Amino acid sequence: MIKFDQVTKRYPGSNEVLKNISFNIEAGELVFVTGHSGAGKSTLLKLIAAIERPTSGTVLVANQNISKLKPSAIPFMRRRFGLVFQDHKLLYDRNCFDNVILPLHINGISGSEAAKRVRAALDKVGLLHKEKAMPITLSGGEQQRLAIARAVVSRPSILIADEPTGNLDASYAAEIMEIFHAFHQVGVTVIIATHEALGKTVIRNRILHIDHGELKSSELLSTESLKS
Amino acid sequence: MSANIISTLLNHHAQAIKLVLTRMHNNAASTFMICLVIAVAMCVPGVFYMGVDHLSKLTNHMQDETEISLFLKLDADKDTLSEIEGILAKNAAIKQYALVTKEQAWQQFKEKSATNEVNNQVNQLAKNPLPDAFFIQAKSAEPEALELLKNELQAIPGIEQALLNTEWAKRLSTLLTLGKKIILFVAALLALALLVIIGNTVRMQILTQKDEIVVSKLIGATSSFIRMPFLYAGILYGLLGGILAIVLLAAIVLGFNQSVMQLSNLYNSDFSLPLFNPSLSISIICAAIFIGWLGSYLAVTRAIAAIKIT
Ligand SMILES: Nc1ncnc2c1ncn2[C@@H]1O[C@H](COP(=O)(O)OP(=O)(O)OP(=O)(O)O)[C@@H](O)[C@H]1O
Ligand SMILES: [Mg+2]
Repeated sequence: MIKFDQVTKRYPGSNEVLKNISFNIEAGELVFVTGHSGAGKSTLLKLIAAIERPTSGTVLVANQNISKLKPSAIPFMRRRFGLVFQDHKLLYDRNCFDNVILPLHINGISGSEAAKRVRAALDKVGLLHKEKAMPITLSGGEQQRLAIARAVVSRPSILIADEPTGNLDASYAAEIMEIFHAFHQVGVTVIIATHEALGKTVIRNRILHIDHGELKSSELLSTESLKS
Repeated sequence: MSANIISTLLNHHAQAIKLVLTRMHNNAASTFMICLVIAVAMCVPGVFYMGVDHLSKLTNHMQDETEISLFLKLDADKDTLSEIEGILAKNAAIKQYALVTKEQAWQQFKEKSATNEVNNQVNQLAKNPLPDAFFIQAKSAEPEALELLKNELQAIPGIEQALLNTEWAKRLSTLLTLGKKIILFVAALLALALLVIIGNTVRMQILTQKDEIVVSKLIGATSSFIRMPFLYAGILYGLLGGILAIVLLAAIVLGFNQSVMQLSNLYNSDFSLPLFNPSLSISIICAAIFIGWLGSYLAVTRAIAAIKIT
């Protein structure tokens, strides 16, 4: 589904942020990307979502080479993903409902069908009663969940979340991880970046551990071995 | 599949229009201002065009009818008249001529002036002061040929005066052509100014929507989807501004007609501009819509390219 082959990324004027990275993610997998702050996790996710292009090497998504995509094809590639951004990127000039409906409008879905899907997505993250609320009035955890609702509303086959449990305490974090597990359970490919020690919900999942831009391990790890 | 694409596209357009109308409604004052600016800028050349167009139609009309006016001596009798008519009929340079006898002219003049104050004075004139006259169309439109013909006709005995109409008509018509060119030039300058103004307005809107544009790009919106509401904004500004321009134009023409009325009554002319000129109205609206679209297209293409998404 997603294949990195000797991928190196360098931002204009920066050193190599990612160095010679190769891995493969199958459809339906739940994968964690871990590493210290500044390790290159967000960069890795942006390469997958066709937001950044590799400096060298190839990124294949559904057998399509991201670097070789025509500019006009990139939007359609991005629509395959549900994205939860590290900084949420919620729109604070509109209510929760209108935030979540944006991806549907981009996909040309409107009217009652769109409203139905928005409410279903809000319901999944437990925010149905807040649909008229403005994002600024939500708590940090609620904003995270709103961002997740927006990412899943167009029913993407790949869900990418960058630090979705960022500044949340453990019980909220576990709650949000449950939501991702539920999507994984129904066959969605889920990729989550986190710099924290993973909670109990992770028992045996793929972990891509990055250290200073280098992939240290892409093995199946248990929670215990990661902590050591 | 293709039905799907079409419905997606229709949805995009419907959403964009709905969004723009909401935004315009929320910013009614600034929307009105920009429409007014467009209206005024479209209206100014419109008014002048209408005046010049009307004048040139009048002069064309006159030019068609008569090239040389031939006035007989006041004391010319029937014999002289038919004699002259015979000469005119034989002249190969004349295409057509029409006789207006002094009685006819007098009658016409009295009828025309029956409606106004001049009437009183006319009635006081006991004697007909008008001469018999021939109105002549020549075959050739060449100024030299006309001059020659005029001199020839002037020389016929019994003729008081031969008047060549082309001189002043030609001068007026070149003046009007020049006027049209100047109007076109002014219109082009105003169109350029409008492009800048509309472009700036749209650019400001893009800046206030920057977050939305960034997020939309990130989650897979195409450029055309992002552009669409702004293009519709430009088109709607043009449409509303164009309609407003036509209303303004009608108001100005109404005022002009009323003030000209008294003057023109005096001269017994019916010089009044039409309140609504269909072809001019359509041209104004089309031009306004095009300028609105182009202004926003240029602005949005540049502004969106400048927005970085990471
Ligand atoms: N747009 C950019 N231009 C230049 N350098 C960048 C850019 N984005 C990231 N970097 C650099 O790349 C490195 C990796 O950044 P990245 O955001 O991928 O790290 P991260 O693992 O997500 O960190 P965190 O856990 O703090 O989010 C950092 O050193 C950062 O300064
Ligand atoms: Mg990051």
